[in-house]
Amino acid sequence: MVADQQSIHIFDVLIIGGGLTGLRAALEIAAAGRAVAIVSKVHPLRSHSVAAQGGINASLGNNAAAGQDSWNAHAFDTVKGSDYLADQDAVELMCRMAPNAVIELEHLGTVFSRQADGKIAQRPFGGAGFPRTCYAADRTGHNILNTLYEQVLHRNVRVFEEYFVTTLATGGGRCIGCTALNVSDGDLHGFLAPATMLATGGFGRIYSRSTNALINTGEGASMAMRAGVALKDMEFVQFHPTSLFGTNILITEGARGEGGILLNRNGERFMERYAPVSKDLAPRDVVARAIHQEIGAGRGFDGGYVHLDLRHLGEELIAERLPGIRQIAIDFAGVDPVNEPVPVQPAQHYSMGGIAVDITGATTLPGLYAAGESACVSVHGANRLGGNSLLETVVFGLMTAGTIIRDLSVAGLPKDANSSILDAIRHEQTKIDDFLARDGGEGMPELRNALKETMYDHFGIFRNEGLMKEGLGKILRLKERFHKASIEYKGLEFNFALQRALELEGMITLAEVVARGALARKETRGSHARTDYPSRDDVHFLAHTVAQLVNEKIVVAYEPVKIMTFPVKGREY
Amino acid sequence: MILKVFRYMKEKKEPRYDSFPLDTEPGMSVLGALFEIQEKYDDSLAFRYSCRGAVCGTCAMLIDKVPRLACRTQISSLLDGSSAMYLAPYPEIERSVPYDPSTEVLVEPLPHLPVIRDLVVDMTRFFAAYRTMQPVFKPKDTAPDHERTMEPSAVHNLEKYTSCILCAACYGACPVNAREQEYVGPAALAKLYRFHIDPRESEDSSRLEIANTRSGWWGCEFHTNCTRVCPKGVPPSIAIGNAREELNRSGREPSGME
Repeated sequence: MVADQQSIHIFDVLIIGGGLTGLRAALEIAAAGRAVAIVSKVHPLRSHSVAAQGGINASLGNNAAAGQDSWNAHAFDTVKGSDYLADQDAVELMCRMAPNAVIELEHLGTVFSRQADGKIAQRPFGGAGFPRTCYAADRTGHNILNTLYEQVLHRNVRVFEEYFVTTLATGGGRCIGCTALNVSDGDLHGFLAPATMLATGGFGRIYSRSTNALINTGEGASMAMRAGVALKDMEFVQFHPTSLFGTNILITEGARGEGGILLNRNGERFMERYAPVSKDLAPRDVVARAIHQEIGAGRGFDGGYVHLDLRHLGEELIAERLPGIRQIAIDFAGVDPVNEPVPVQPAQHYSMGGIAVDITGATTLPGLYAAGESACVSVHGANRLGGNSLLETVVFGLMTAGTIIRDLSVAGLPKDANSSILDAIRHEQTKIDDFLARDGGEGMPELRNALKETMYDHFGIFRNEGLMKEGLGKILRLKERFHKASIEYKGLEFNFALQRALELEGMITLAEVVARGALARKETRGSHARTDYPSRDDVHFLAHTVAQLVNEKIVVAYEPVKIMTFPVKGREY
Repeated sequence: MILKVFRYMKEKKEPRYDSFPLDTEPGMSVLGALFEIQEKYDDSLAFRYSCRGAVCGTCAMLIDKVPRLACRTQISSLLDGSSAMYLAPYPEIERSVPYDPSTEVLVEPLPHLPVIRDLVVDMTRFFAAYRTMQPVFKPKDTAPDHERTMEPSAVHNLEKYTSCILCAACYGACPVNAREQEYVGPAALAKLYRFHIDPRESEDSSRLEIANTRSGWWGCEFHTNCTRVCPKGVPPSIAIGNAREELNRSGREPSGME
């Protein structure tokens, strides 16, 4: 297709990604009267936000019997959970805004579960000193996503569904928009806007065992990096302790929040040995390591899993508060948690790292912003607490929208933006045409699977130098192999083979960034556990990793962590 | 086993069925089987996917003549007959294609929506119907400083309907949708009912009036296929029945409906 004006779309703000972050931002920008469009490779309701189960943290203190909660206590738990790598100004902002953010969602129509007095119910979650996690049974993400989608439709926000963004376009020293492939017919479109916001979620699918949706391939981060923006703390990859054995579908931490316990093959409640105080409700990095060690010591079940026992909770409570995971266990493992323990194992779950942004959501490239899981602001540091990811999406979706609205009053597109976007389309078209013209060589699925296995085997729950160096070598060879691999189908309508190949190219880049960050960080902190450096090293590594492309090479450097009210201490649970 | 898959490309005009022999592994879903075909045999096969955990609603299709989520449907349960389901008849689920359900799994696009390619259908009509229900929260009062309180029992009642993932399995299972494109279908009506029974909204009938027509509440013939195929246990037929009763009771049933 020849690039022409019909395929150029102009807006004030472009939001890439239609999950909770993107929808919350779009709502705010539309309310400010600005022309905003969402561009997403899937229908917004198919975004991974829909899968969030357990809840959203806010110090509402609705459960009076648990004592007086406060945003400050929430902030402390978050900072300690992050192993002191989170930036405390960002954490403070998020925790202060949390109660209003949740109440606002309720006012927009979200049907939260309620306690007897009619207030929003709150459950205990890992690493939290109070029952602070507001929930809608175990379908919290689904409920909030539907609410925000309804609001966005109501405001007639333009949504380009099934448009796969291929690159960010730049001109005059700023981001001017993006190019995107219309998945339904294969046409390339150009999007021009003085402000572009990335809300593309995490990159969990670079790992073989992941709770993430299959679409979580991290394009936002790889595109930002190619546009010259740094990625931050990418080596911090969260492994959720309890994914369903076999499919790795998430079994919410809320199951343990409601009283579920983990048992090894000897029927021992082994968390008592690893976290004597918090036990099964220690933070995720702690519990995931414990399960991994139990299995490694031969106390797991054949195939590599342990049991999550909910039977003592009783059918009534399970049906009321955990109906979704009950159905998942029945559908995908043939196990009804009312009668049998659920087989669980750790799996990749969340990307703490992401596109480097400041506390306002801005990147170093004018006109480019990011928020939610695709970004790293950083509120999660080395380990995210459960219930803080949904909170981050709505708080920083809103905050970043505010930044964009302010910046729009002084920002505009450069004069030659139109010719720049046409150039970008032509460049992308050539790249795709060349790719489709390629025949022979390896198939993409083989490479993709090799990448995922490499990441799980070499950059998993426990890491060491030798293992990681070997893994990095494999990643670098995959990069070479990718340039000779091809796909067979050359058509343009719904060419998922092409889309997945384009995804894979970015995934390999992100894998290398994770690998280089992990190798360089010679300490153990949060989710990054090194058997060769088993202690935290605050002298050298109380710092954010920033990785940037310099002459096509990934260069790793460090930036200071913002420490404010909470002094760096040990981390016992 | 053999996966017999509906194939369609605009340029080839006529659809066809391709058969792919696959080794079944325990726990293999229909979605997993489709990925195996795409990865090993034919990378042109088009189907939508996202969460693979039965929460996002992307992969509804007609599997052994029943609308189901491909990710949630186990191959073994189809072959051994344990997931067999009786549905009130409509044209698309008639045995038009020969296949042996004990050795073959038949995978076709979701009925009642235009096929774009292979198993990908155009959802425009489905979401347009959803939009005509004005699916956005309209509270009866101005927002308080805190959350609005709700009875836990009211929440339980609402949850039956908020669980809808808009996968359109019900739309593809409805004999009325098979005949009448104007009928908004079960999911749209269940969504409307969800707002109607939300205690935070006005208790009047304004919500019910939105679908007080032949293409709304009154189009339903209570075949209840919708409630049977719903992967999330949402009962649109109950919502429709309740809405009609309420309209009847207050004498607001439009004339000539029954």
